[in-house]
Amino acid sequence: MELESELRALAAEIEWPHTPAVRPELAPRPRLLRHRRSIALAVAVVAVALAAALAVPQSRGAILRFFGLGAVRVEFVERLPAAQEQPLSARLGPTISTAVARVLLGGPPLRPSSASAPVLHAQDRVVSLLFLHDGHPVLLSELRSRSGLLKKIVVPSTSVRWLRVGNDPAIWITGDRHVVVFPHAAPQLAGDVLVWQHRNLTLRLEGARLTLRDALTLAETLR
Amino acid sequence: MLRAQSGDVRAFEQLVEPHREIMFRVAYLIVRNATDAEDAAQDALVKAWRALGRFRRDAPLRPWLVTIAANEARNRRRGTGRRERLALRATVSPSGEAAPSPEELAVAAAERRRLLDGLEQLPDEQRLVLECRYLLSLSEEETAVALGIRRGTVKSRAARALERLREVHGARV
Repeated sequence: MELESELRALAAEIEWPHTPAVRPELAPRPRLLRHRRSIALAVAVVAVALAAALAVPQSRGAILRFFGLGAVRVEFVERLPAAQEQPLSARLGPTISTAVARVLLGGPPLRPSSASAPVLHAQDRVVSLLFLHDGHPVLLSELRSRSGLLKKIVVPSTSVRWLRVGNDPAIWITGDRHVVVFPHAAPQLAGDVLVWQHRNLTLRLEGARLTLRDALTLAETLR
Repeated sequence: MLRAQSGDVRAFEQLVEPHREIMFRVAYLIVRNATDAEDAAQDALVKAWRALGRFRRDAPLRPWLVTIAANEARNRRRGTGRRERLALRATVSPSGEAAPSPEELAVAAAERRRLLDGLEQLPDEQRLVLECRYLLSLSEEETAVALGIRRGTVKSRAARALERLREVHGARV
């Protein structure tokens, strides 16, 4: 057999690494501005934005790019804003009943099947559950996707990977610390986090010792 | 394409979906590390999105995407990093109609292994040309743009690589 034919046959026998579910982290591309008036307006808006940014001395620098997943907006910036380290229980809010959680979320909250009936909390329409997984605390936050409340601020050295929880789109934020901004709360530092969208909900799992495998297993077993 | 160029993210994702695998595999052949290849493919998609406005609508999309992925991969290539070897599937596909005997399967697997080993021994520039042409079935033109070389160079490198592979692989072929 010709060497070329052997090489072609070899192609069918290669065990390629699995092609990951790579998705672009995209900000919406601005539509082309066709009219001078639009361009003039855009220039004015940019000028105002620039002036505003320059006027804030502790500005965190330019937003390099951003994208959204459900209620979460992830912004890539050159440097993180000032933020504090806080325990997972810092902003749980008051305890609530399942009925109240249903109203806030527009349906029943998801709960870990392994943990024994964790207490529900709510603050600013974010329903939270704190429970132990393998002896370590894990925080599950749930909110309606359309609320668009949560902001994640990351630096380029933080890894943000697209993946899936079952059929739901998800991101795993890992590596360098990032800042999470809950509504009406001071920015706080966060570690590795899984965020995904399930039906009308956006969910977020965080734990100091939570691995990606643990997070995915937990997420897929929520009921 | 028109929808993607006017800012429709979903339309862009649908456009690039058929090319994700080839982008990842080209990147993998260059960096030989699945994690770096994934990063390269990811960043390539972001760059493609940003540059989409300048893309000619009548031009083929695949070579353009492959080129961006290859460029990203080359930027990530680390001289001292862990280099993964290509692996073969556990089972060899039968080439004839009759079911091969276990002995024939073992011989075929050994032959494939020898050929792959020979490929791995080639200098990178020659190995990549053969891998793009024969393992990924890229055309000469696609190989040229992916590797950033002229089409004529693809031909001459491929010829030299085949010659060398014949020497490495043995007088049998």
